Amino acid sequence: MKPLIEVHSLHYTYLRGTPLETVALRGVDLVVYPGEVVGLVGPTGSGKSTLLQHLNGLLRPQAGRVVVDGMDLGDSRTDLRAVRRKVGLLFQSPEDQLFERYVADDVAYGPLQYGLPPEEVRARVRRAMLAVGLPPEAYADRPTFALSGGERRRVALAGVLALDPQVLVLDEPLAGLDPAGRRLLASLLEEWCAQEGRAIVWASHSMDEVARSADRMYLLAEGRVIREGTPREIFGDAELLLEHGLDVPAVTWVLRELARAGLPVRTDVLTLEEACDVLEGVLR
Amino acid sequence: MSEFGAWHILTLGHYLPMGSPLHRLDPRVRLLSVLVLGGALMVRGQLAVLFLGLLLVLLLLALARVPLGHALRGVRALVPLLGVVLLLQLLFYPHRRALVAGSPALWQAGRFVVSAAGVVALVALCLRMVALVLLLTLLTSIADATDLVHAVEGLLRPLQGIGFPAHELALVFVIALRFLPLLAREMERLMKAQAARGADFGHGRGYIVQRVRRTFPLLVPLFVLALRRAEELAVAMEARGYAGGKGRSYLVRLRMRHADWLALAAAVALAVLLLWLDLGSLEQALFRSLG
Repeated sequence: MKPLIEVHSLHYTYLRGTPLETVALRGVDLVVYPGEVVGLVGPTGSGKSTLLQHLNGLLRPQAGRVVVDGMDLGDSRTDLRAVRRKVGLLFQSPEDQLFERYVADDVAYGPLQYGLPPEEVRARVRRAMLAVGLPPEAYADRPTFALSGGERRRVALAGVLALDPQVLVLDEPLAGLDPAGRRLLASLLEEWCAQEGRAIVWASHSMDEVARSADRMYLLAEGRVIREGTPREIFGDAELLLEHGLDVPAVTWVLRELARAGLPVRTDVLTLEEACDVLEGVLR
Repeated sequence: MSEFGAWHILTLGHYLPMGSPLHRLDPRVRLLSVLVLGGALMVRGQLAVLFLGLLLVLLLLALARVPLGHALRGVRALVPLLGVVLLLQLLFYPHRRALVAGSPALWQAGRFVVSAAGVVALVALCLRMVALVLLLTLLTSIADATDLVHAVEGLLRPLQGIGFPAHELALVFVIALRFLPLLAREMERLMKAQAARGADFGHGRGYIVQRVRRTFPLLVPLFVLALRRAEELAVAMEARGYAGGKGRSYLVRLRMRHADWLALAAAVALAVLLLWLDLGSLEQALFRSLG
């Protein structure tokens, strides 16, 4: 299958050529195939956000290559707006970016910017709002500033979904939400991905959050990819995660300690249910 | 760099912790010296004097270990403005009167004349603006916001006796200074977020109403964020017992050392020198050679 996004040895330095320069990316390779969920995990300052901003051309590569669906982002002739329509990026705390008075107007901003006909815009707004669990009948005419934080975040997400992107890029989408809000948003995202068959790139510093839904994961630290694999492969290597200041899910932690104590248990376990099965097997 | 990097380009305002002798001076001396020298540069119009002033500023930048390239970046941002000012100056300078006063004409086309005096005044103006911008860059490179607020407050404190709100003024000043880079960063983030949704900022198409409308997606959230920040700051300050300047003690006591007095004296002496120096004869010689 042909990859949707290809990143080859990408380098990026902030404030390059000044006394304040900081290196954010030192040679990152990454591919995203259609329809898959790619997790991007790394501690604060590992270069996640910088990498994400390259995927839709908000930043141009200083060295290395970024190719989105055949369009080379290093080429100054590439139409970045076309790229941004293919790759929808949702920033951290996106609820801050709402500006229209009414919910539906804000969701419609993107499609209108691309000059779509009014009928099409209306249909897209409807679909996007349904996808994020805000039925248009109840929410379209609500003032954006009267919504709760979680609802506002879902409005922002709808604003990106209304562009109908091939890839949805998310930067810490669940940060700052309460447990119910986290569960809701996570399941909405999974549903959208499965229904529309689109890809998601999901960045987070929490392994737990990403592992549940990711098909493949990249572990990022100090501007480099230090590990790539399925969540199971990466969780099997708890030492590596801990070494880079990342958390290990509680169940993995428990099984790891049991294995250390000499019990014959697997440690590449992702969910509570799996852990129960493993423990039952041992206890029998 | 990037189409959104508004605040990266602005070197004016970046503090550079280079640990030079200038960085170690009393903040009041740093501020006062820059003000005095800047004042002198502002008053003088003679080309040769301003040139000397520019050299002096460059010397100070070297002394502060500010890389020249970094300092000049701030000037580069000024180039478009400088261009406009130059053009206006060239058009509206009283060339005819200068000719009557004995300046040779450099170029003439019909009723339009360009006098040597006009061109010299133009170059002088450029030198002055560049020198002032570099001087400001110097100040922000050697003094961070805390230094500046200490300086302002320290200098204004004697006025508190006559009811002047020195502390409050200094606080307003430091909050504004502290918020500026935050707002700039917020702005950059919003620009990127809206661009990710298809906004198109780089191109100034359309009528004025449309152009203003295009800034709504940035300005509305920016105001909301700024107001929220201000409110949070007020609550945080009150929670920590802030109740205005009265009876407040200070962690940092400013004390002038010998080096500080020396530096201040040197700055004042240099400023006086710049003010008194008369290099008018050099200018006359320049005219003659041009004419």
